[in-house]
Amino acid sequence: MKRISVYIISLLVIISYSVSEAEAQNQPPDTVILPLKIRAGADIMGPVIYLIDRNNLNIEGYVSVDLNAKTGIFLGAGYSDYKYSQYNYEYLSRGYFVKAGVDFNLLKPEASRGKYWAGIGLRYGLSSFTNEIPSFEYDSYWGTTITTIPSSSSMGHYLEIAPGFRAEIFNNFSMGWLVNIRALLHTGTGKDLRPIYFPGYGAGDESISFGINYYLSWNISYKRIKVLIKKEEPEETEETEGTEAEEPARSLFPPTEYP
Amino acid sequence: MRSYKTKILVAVVAISLLKIVSCTPESCFEETLALLKASMYQSSQEKNVAPTSLTLYGLNMEEDKIYDQTEGVKSALIPLNPYAESCTFIIGINSVTDTLIFWYTSFPHLISKECGYTFYHALDSLITTSNAIDTVIIRNRYVTTSDEENIRIYY
Repeated sequence: MKRISVYIISLLVIISYSVSEAEAQNQPPDTVILPLKIRAGADIMGPVIYLIDRNNLNIEGYVSVDLNAKTGIFLGAGYSDYKYSQYNYEYLSRGYFVKAGVDFNLLKPEASRGKYWAGIGLRYGLSSFTNEIPSFEYDSYWGTTITTIPSSSSMGHYLEIAPGFRAEIFNNFSMGWLVNIRALLHTGTGKDLRPIYFPGYGAGDESISFGINYYLSWNISYKRIKVLIKKEEPEETEETEGTEAEEPARSLFPPTEYP
Repeated sequence: MRSYKTKILVAVVAISLLKIVSCTPESCFEETLALLKASMYQSSQEKNVAPTSLTLYGLNMEEDKIYDQTEGVKSALIPLNPYAESCTFIIGINSVTDTLIFWYTSFPHLISKECGYTFYHALDSLITTSNAIDTVIIRNRYVTTSDEENIRIYY
């Protein structure tokens, strides 16, 4: 419950910060100088979860490069070691994964100023892993037996949509959330021994999986670009033709005359 | 336009967070044993009719009967041994006894994270004596946890 509260509070802080920054630009200039950055970050959610649950280790990092004011290239990689056991079986899965894709910043340049990012990442993920069932108890008419399914290597792949928020807190240092919504393409294991968990994706017995990253990132500007700001045109008000001008709203209180 | 995009983004994030922190069922509510489903057919009528009584047990397992003079069995559930390549059953239909032998291959299958693993089977062949049984036909060779008919026993 504490973990959930931390998720939600941090998210709300970042959302409100990003939105307030965006709204603070009441009178934007015609152009804005925007730094394009190279970014490298590490996920701290995996190690934190590992402190709570020693059966689930996930280490993950990324590198991204801004291509222009709106888009950037993302390349991530990680290692995962997962153990699960319950009354009738044990399961082990470990391996590496890489994911690559594009990040889209939905904030306007005058709001993001190269410091804030609120957008969506689209990625393709590839996972190389081994999984093993060290013990599995089978109870039937013919008796109870305990068997082992030996380790086997597989290669799974998936697509990922990652909306999130990131803010530069100090000079060259930013932090932020990414929520990961993943669609399974192929587990690489066949339909009978689908992986309960596979690195990078998560629950391999489900076609959609969800995850979350909290990245601490270091970034450096490699180029500055001038971005033209599109001014929003004022909304046109419809005028009524050939009719009397509308009366101003009447006050409930009559005007008071003073001598 | 900006607020529209922001609202969608916040909604997607909120829904995803709810999904991440939502409770997942940890109990198993699915069928965990893959049993061979044998429909009982009366040869004269070509209909799925339960015999007056059905007795079924594995060879040398007489003290542990699966069905013991049971009435109203239109579809018998037969457990195959995953640690053997063949299984022999003694079947009594209306107190007339036959022997039924199955050859098959077994392979492990994940039911779900909550339920764990079971064994599925692929039937290769079968033979039977014909005291009460006329014939047995294989309808679906894959024996799984689903409720699909695998063989028909005509008596």
